[in-house]
Amino acid sequence: MPLSVSLSIEGDTTVIELTGELDAKTAPDFHRTIEKAAGHGTRTVEIRMAGVGYMASAGLRSLVFAQQKVANDVTIKVVGAIEPVSRTIRTAGLDRSIVLTDE
Amino acid sequence: MVELASTSCVLEVPATVGALGDIASLVLRLAAAAGLGKGATYRLRLAVDELATNVVMHGYRGGDGRITVRGRSGPGGVQIVIEDCAPPFDPVEGRLPPACPGIPPEERRIGGLGIHLALTSVDEFGYAHRDGRNISTLTVKAEGTDRCPPRP
Repeated sequence: MPLSVSLSIEGDTTVIELTGELDAKTAPDFHRTIEKAAGHGTRTVEIRMAGVGYMASAGLRSLVFAQQKVANDVTIKVVGAIEPVSRTIRTAGLDRSIVLTDE
Repeated sequence: MVELASTSCVLEVPATVGALGDIASLVLRLAAAAGLGKGATYRLRLAVDELATNVVMHGYRGGDGRITVRGRSGPGGVQIVIEDCAPPFDPVEGRLPPACPGIPPEERRIGGLGIHLALTSVDEFGYAHRDGRNISTLTVKAEGTDRCPPRP
């Protein structure tokens, strides 16, 4: 399934909304959007993942890339990830530096 | 022991990122045929996807190559065999090493994490190198356990 990626700004938050499957084929789209988001200079980057039904390690690589691209005081939130996706994030230990929330 | 059908499906694809979707489709069909639950289906798909992606990205290093995927399903679960002719690579040896307290997650190598995800997603894993081929065998049981994998 393809990945749909949208980018918007809500106050001091840059919102990236993903729908579809995040794997080695589709992650480059997410990667490019992160680069744009990092340039916005907001205090929070919120990645809405409720519509992501599958995520492989290529998606983890994008989240790590996001951490590297934003300033130290910028919070990265992953919102609404389904259980297997949040499990993958926890397995990689990224929940230590990315805020995982249901909503 | 997993009870599996005696007949198997075989898929041979070029080792490209574009072919990973075909492999995923085969895996999902086998999972459905075995009646695997959502969680077990997800774990099986993730494991096969990570190992196949690793063959494409690091095994053949973007060069020409083929990946053969054989699958068997039955009431006991699904068994998938992934074969390639890339240089010998045992995923168990290549998984992420144990945690080093001084290294933050964002500085760890993600490739090793992919293999870590694969190996912690299946109930059984085996590797052999025969006749110039890497052969990885993954099994997800219908009644398997979704262990909480150790953090890397």
